[in-house]
Amino acid sequence: MKKFKNIFLPLLLVVGLGFSDCKNKSEKTNTVNTSSDSSSTAPVKIESDDVLKNGVKDATKDFPGVTATVNNGEITLTGEINRDRLQILMQSLNSLHPKKINNNLTIK
Amino acid sequence: MALQEKYKQLIDAAKTSGVSNLQVREQNNVLYVDGETSNGQVKDNLWSIYNKIDPDFRAGDLVMNVKVSTASGSKAKVITKTSNLNIRKGPGTDQPIVGKAAHDEVVTVLSKSNDQWSLIKTDEGEEGYVYSQYLAQV
Repeated sequence: MKKFKNIFLPLLLVVGLGFSDCKNKSEKTNTVNTSSDSSSTAPVKIESDDVLKNGVKDATKDFPGVTATVNNGEITLTGEINRDRLQILMQSLNSLHPKKINNNLTIK
Repeated sequence: MALQEKYKQLIDAAKTSGVSNLQVREQNNVLYVDGETSNGQVKDNLWSIYNKIDPDFRAGDLVMNVKVSTASGSKAKVITKTSNLNIRKGPGTDQPIVGKAAHDEVVTVLSKSNDQWSLIKTDEGEEGYVYSQYLAQV
């Protein structure tokens, strides 16, 4: 039994070292991935149509000439707007996490 | 990568003006730019570059969401055109109005509920949610 232990212990150590080595390697690989590609780590968040519809309703509340529809993540704008108000509306809509914004507004 | 080329000036400006958590991704012919800044002017500047590259935001190939982070307890001014700003019980225009903040009034921002709504308190002690678009950093 004692003899067995003598053989087994070093064997365990070797196996253990081997594992920890693998672990280090995989950690290194991960680090390289994040640092070389830091600008594309988080996936693009697209809200569901229901959430988008609520957000669009709030965002366009004070834009009476603007109609906004939501379909499959895309917001489509029709109607009329003054140019000096366009950026304010676009800033709100861009923060809702849409897939895309189709601006078909007539600009006055 | 074509869109990153088209909006290179914008992406470069976001990088040099210290936008944090900057994410630039291209997916199905749309470029998504997300990030955060503590300076409202940085956001305005990025939007004027966007408007220069894509006049009147017609192309539909960029979704830019650079948020202005507001520290809890910071002051903000009500920038409605002329009218009062509704203070609501919850974050949504379907929520009941619990108070009003006057045009140009300075209020205290307690927290941001999401990208659209902020929880604020007026000097008179009225507390509730307002649409963040009508608040400007002081």
